[in-house]
Amino acid sequence: MTVELFNQEFEDIISHLKSYILRITASLADTEDIVQDTYLKALDKLHTFRGESSLKTWLFTIASNMAKDNLKAQKRWVENVTDITREAALTNKEFFREAMNIRMTSPNGQYEAKEHIAFCFTCISKSLPLEQQLCVFLKEVYEFKVAEIASILNTNEAMVKYYLHAGRSKMISIFDGRCALINKEGICHQCSELNGIFNPKQNTQKELMKIDLVKEAQKGDKEHLFDLRMNILKEIDPINSKASELQLHHLEHNRQVMEKYL
Amino acid sequence: MTAIATTPPNGKAQTLKTTFHRETSVSIEISADPAIIWALLTNASDYPSWNSTVTSIEGNIALGETIKLKSILDAKRIFKLKVKEFEPENRLVWGDSQGNRVYSITNNGKSIFSMTEKIGGIMFPLYAKMIPSFDQSFEQFALDLKKEAEIIMNNK
Repeated sequence: MTVELFNQEFEDIISHLKSYILRITASLADTEDIVQDTYLKALDKLHTFRGESSLKTWLFTIASNMAKDNLKAQKRWVENVTDITREAALTNKEFFREAMNIRMTSPNGQYEAKEHIAFCFTCISKSLPLEQQLCVFLKEVYEFKVAEIASILNTNEAMVKYYLHAGRSKMISIFDGRCALINKEGICHQCSELNGIFNPKQNTQKELMKIDLVKEAQKGDKEHLFDLRMNILKEIDPINSKASELQLHHLEHNRQVMEKYL
Repeated sequence: MTAIATTPPNGKAQTLKTTFHRETSVSIEISADPAIIWALLTNASDYPSWNSTVTSIEGNIALGETIKLKSILDAKRIFKLKVKEFEPENRLVWGDSQGNRVYSITNNGKSIFSMTEKIGGIMFPLYAKMIPSFDQSFEQFALDLKKEAEIIMNNK
């Protein structure tokens, strides 16, 4: 593969690569570093790329290896991360002042419940063991096949299937117990609560009902609801979306709170 | 020869009793890669999600570690068990002074999972009647493991 073709294809893949690493590290700065190092390493080893896998699989392999060595990626959070970080945010005036400033001034400062649903999944997924988190994202969001994930993570297909099953089951169970969007008894209303703060003129319920996950919640098919949640993540680029700056501010806050908490 | 080597892989438990010991075994064929069976057997926090005989396991299932296990057989009791052998995808042993639980996986084209527990000692006749039969919970354990491992194996 020529350097020119590599650069062209890298441009097509970079947004997926960035969002993947961001969702694993919860740090934009570390994401930028890892993606840059992935590019440099791939360029350096380009002569060894024989096309046995797709370039996307090869780049995700390099990036995943770097992510696995990254301390922020290795750090595991807790299932109730959003409860703990909410409490911390409520006593942190600077957090809300900055959030409101972003909301008012940034072109990427809108608040959308959908974006917060994706953000929430990112935070809670960090309570899974790292292998399970990587497998869930690679399969459910970035749509790699089991054999490709085994290659990316240097493991066998059986273990990928186990990690996927265990990770997916845990996430379904956590959201079923917590998320008020799909369970009336759920204790977390954060996406609607924040919508009330950032979009006070909106009818929050009406906005939420535009989301398939919410519309179909009453049917109660947990597996299907998980797939709908994954569709939301697939649609959103957390680094360039309309709400990205606001959500990245929130993510940075949550990571700092978790680093102190754990 | 111990019971574990002779129990047919039909999911039916067998118990051998002597004056000083009792040994229960079960064996079952599982259409799944040994790596999946091993992962299920050694991931402590996941047990309650697939195994209806285990209420909880705290700790790390690794050689030399001590785990705290709660079972449906005696809901009020916490069993403190030491992991004595740990051979990935092959053999796992945990136990205490009362006895050992041995898990094994063999694979000759098909995965055969076997589990045996031998309890007893010189005082065994004094309390033997107070210990419930393991047969039903062993059969359920094996069935739960087979079901979960095969679901995972068949995932695309």
